Amino acid sequence: MTTRIAAILLPLLLLAGWEGYCRWSGIPALVLPPPSAVGAALWSGLASGRLLPHLAVTAAEMALGLGIGCLVGFVAGVALAEVAGLRRLLYPYVIASQVVPKLALAPLFILWFGFGMTSTVAITALICFFPLLENTLTGLDRVDPAKRELFRMLRAGRWRTLTRLKIPSGLPVILAGLRVAVVLALVGAVVGEFIGGRQGLGASIIAAQGMMDTPLMFALFAVITALGMLVYQATLLIERWLLSRQAKG
Amino acid sequence: MPTDPPAFLSFENVRFDYSGAAIVDGVDWAVGRGAIHCLLGRSGCGKTTLLKLAAGLFTPATGRVRLDGAAVCGPGDAVGFVFQAPTLLEWLTVLDNVLLPVTLHRRATADDRARALDLLELVGLAGLADRGPRALSGGQQSRVALARALIADPALLLLDEPFAALDALTREELQEDLLRLCAQRGTTALFVTHDIAEAVYLGDRVAVMADGQLRHSLSIDLPRPRPRDLRYDPRFNALCRELRHAMDGATGLRRAEAAE
Ligand SMILES: Nc1ncnc2c1ncn2[C@@H]1O[C@H](COP(=O)(O)OP(=O)(O)OP(=O)(O)O)[C@@H](O)[C@H]1O
Ligand SMILES: [Mg+2]
Repeated sequence: MTTRIAAILLPLLLLAGWEGYCRWSGIPALVLPPPSAVGAALWSGLASGRLLPHLAVTAAEMALGLGIGCLVGFVAGVALAEVAGLRRLLYPYVIASQVVPKLALAPLFILWFGFGMTSTVAITALICFFPLLENTLTGLDRVDPAKRELFRMLRAGRWRTLTRLKIPSGLPVILAGLRVAVVLALVGAVVGEFIGGRQGLGASIIAAQGMMDTPLMFALFAVITALGMLVYQATLLIERWLLSRQAKG
Repeated sequence: MPTDPPAFLSFENVRFDYSGAAIVDGVDWAVGRGAIHCLLGRSGCGKTTLLKLAAGLFTPATGRVRLDGAAVCGPGDAVGFVFQAPTLLEWLTVLDNVLLPVTLHRRATADDRARALDLLELVGLAGLADRGPRALSGGQQSRVALARALIADPALLLLDEPFAALDALTREELQEDLLRLCAQRGTTALFVTHDIAEAVYLGDRVAVMADGQLRHSLSIDLPRPRPRDLRYDPRFNALCRELRHAMDGATGLRRAEAAE
């Protein structure tokens, strides 16, 4: 109960402190706007409907990038885990590509796909691809050898062993990869828009910066954070649902 | 060399190693159709390895394992294996675990489900069909594994200490059930255990293994079906004592070899 109260009080205290600091220190709103000004900017953006199309664009880019990246990452992970030769051949590249800062490829993607949604989706997909690939590979590898022997004894073919043993037993690890991908997807979408977007929350931040509208920038941060939390919580729910369904059989 | 023809399962001078010293070292053995043979021996002497050779999970380095006349070269559908650890799939219910050998090859029918429920009842888990394996005790898990091995009605059952995690009462009940089932279906069984009385109660023949070799074997001439109070019969106790001496002898031999 006390933690409950503290959980409500803490953000209120922080906001009050922030507001108080801005009022009494006389810091210019251009550098640090008070929360009241941010709230006002947020409200006018939402009420006038100006923010909504941008929110929709970013959410769509994120969803598309996440979907494509995760699907391809999962399939590639399964392929590498199942085909030993492929894995020996490609795994060094997978490791090398881990350390490449994927966002640094954004200018190249703009060159290939042009400004706009396509290049942002491509960047987001690329970023989501790796955690899924990595975790699928690890998850499928980490099957209890005793269970493998059981499946061998039961003469389960390769496909059955994959779908009935390896994927179910690796599911927790694979879903942990999905959670990482979700967080990265938002980063990918927003930063992709910084560089190559015409629309979206990231592009709006750049535009607000150009107009020196700091309260609007803060308002956009708030919207992005809310979007991220929403999607993250949804992922947790999906994860819990999948695992509990699995636990029940 | 034991001979009880016609042999259903036979080992012919089987040798096996895990890339090191021989773990199974020249085993000759034959199990007649419908017979139950028990294997005793100290921990680490190679009993599990021998069972896996019989199952076709391992291939002998030299020699041959034959099942019903044909050389074994991989796991077959006539063989049921109860592993030393229960090895249940946590994401399936108890019932689906029992049905696994069926559902891996075809869709389970209402008939299969009824049989699985019967088997669960036989092993005393009738009420737990919808639970997950994590919600079972160790002994309950090993009984699920036994039911799973029986669902496909195998002609040969390989059992690796299936009752080791059970209390004495449940164990004796299951021994009786196992004997009844094997007699009903004419199942041949090779049963590994550490419990001398269990080996004598179940087996037509008991072999003592030490250092990868079968050092001693004893034919158990007790009536079938075996009544429950056979366990208190003087003949039963005499056989147990004889096996105990044989095991001491086998180990003594190992000590003598080590001293050489
Ligand atoms: N995968 C393996 N790789 C290498 N050595 C192994 C392997 N499995 C078993 N061994 C060795 O082979 C020997 C026989 O093992 P096995 O499992 O057959 O013994 P066991 O008679 O079944 O013992 P227990 O009664 O304890 O189950 C042991 O000394 C063990 O250390
Ligand atoms: Mg063993």
